[in-house]
Amino acid sequence: MLIPHPLLGLRDAQEFTYLGDASLLNRPDASSPDAAVAFFDYVYLRDNPAGVHRELWFHEQGDRSWLIVTRNTLTHEILNAELACESAVKSEVLA
Amino acid sequence: MTDLMAITALGAVAPYEFQIGGLVIRENTELALASLSLGRGQGAPTILGTSMPDVGQWLAGPEVSAFWTAPNQWFIEGEGRAHEDFAAIVKAAAPDCAVTEQTDGWVAFDVYSNDGFKPLEGLLEKLVNIDLNGFGVGTALRTGLHHMSVYLIRRSDTHVTIMGMRTFAAALCHALESTAVRLR
Repeated sequence: MLIPHPLLGLRDAQEFTYLGDASLLNRPDASSPDAAVAFFDYVYLRDNPAGVHRELWFHEQGDRSWLIVTRNTLTHEILNAELACESAVKSEVLA
Repeated sequence: MTDLMAITALGAVAPYEFQIGGLVIRENTELALASLSLGRGQGAPTILGTSMPDVGQWLAGPEVSAFWTAPNQWFIEGEGRAHEDFAAIVKAAAPDCAVTEQTDGWVAFDVYSNDGFKPLEGLLEKLVNIDLNGFGVGTALRTGLHHMSVYLIRRSDTHVTIMGMRTFAAALCHALESTAVRLR
């Protein structure tokens, strides 16, 4: 499997390690009144979609950047890859 | 006072050297290394006349050379300067950047071919899973080699430097040597 790194081009998936659902980037607010429930959800509950999934991959044997890879879990087709830091900046701007 | 003697990453007195067919593998014990990274919003500096290369590139300068390692991060190389306090020299040239000493963290093997680029690329094809069409002169990248993490720098058509973690020096050396022998 090849992952299209936004900076480095197509790289072997063996260079990467997988973390999980990209929604992990959206950490709940620890000071909110329902923080306990929100963190339970954040830490333990995951969707397990059959189909398109956004997930975090770490380019461990490479430039050590975090990527958000959009992958179809049924076909293993990689639809998109972007730098997680840029995606995080974008969502900061939107919020 | 105890008379201490410097040894190489492989525990030897002299740098490792191995020659087979058209290939020469030679340990470079005199390469000084320092990493340099920028804070958010900082511009890339020029270190002793060398500007910081673009993504995936290596650039040789008058005194030092540099290669890209990650967004806003480079390795600065000082050929023949391993005995100096190289990180302090780099830090003095870029006081606002974060600089760390790397010389003793890595082992560098220079692989030369004295028979054109083919023996060299033949060796790389066996060792690393990268597209050699995109690995021209002036390219630097990090990848896996026998499950170890290595930097590869294409210094010329017939010269590649393979840099691995110093604690893996013997395993990396074994991988290079045994692969070169099998290609023979």
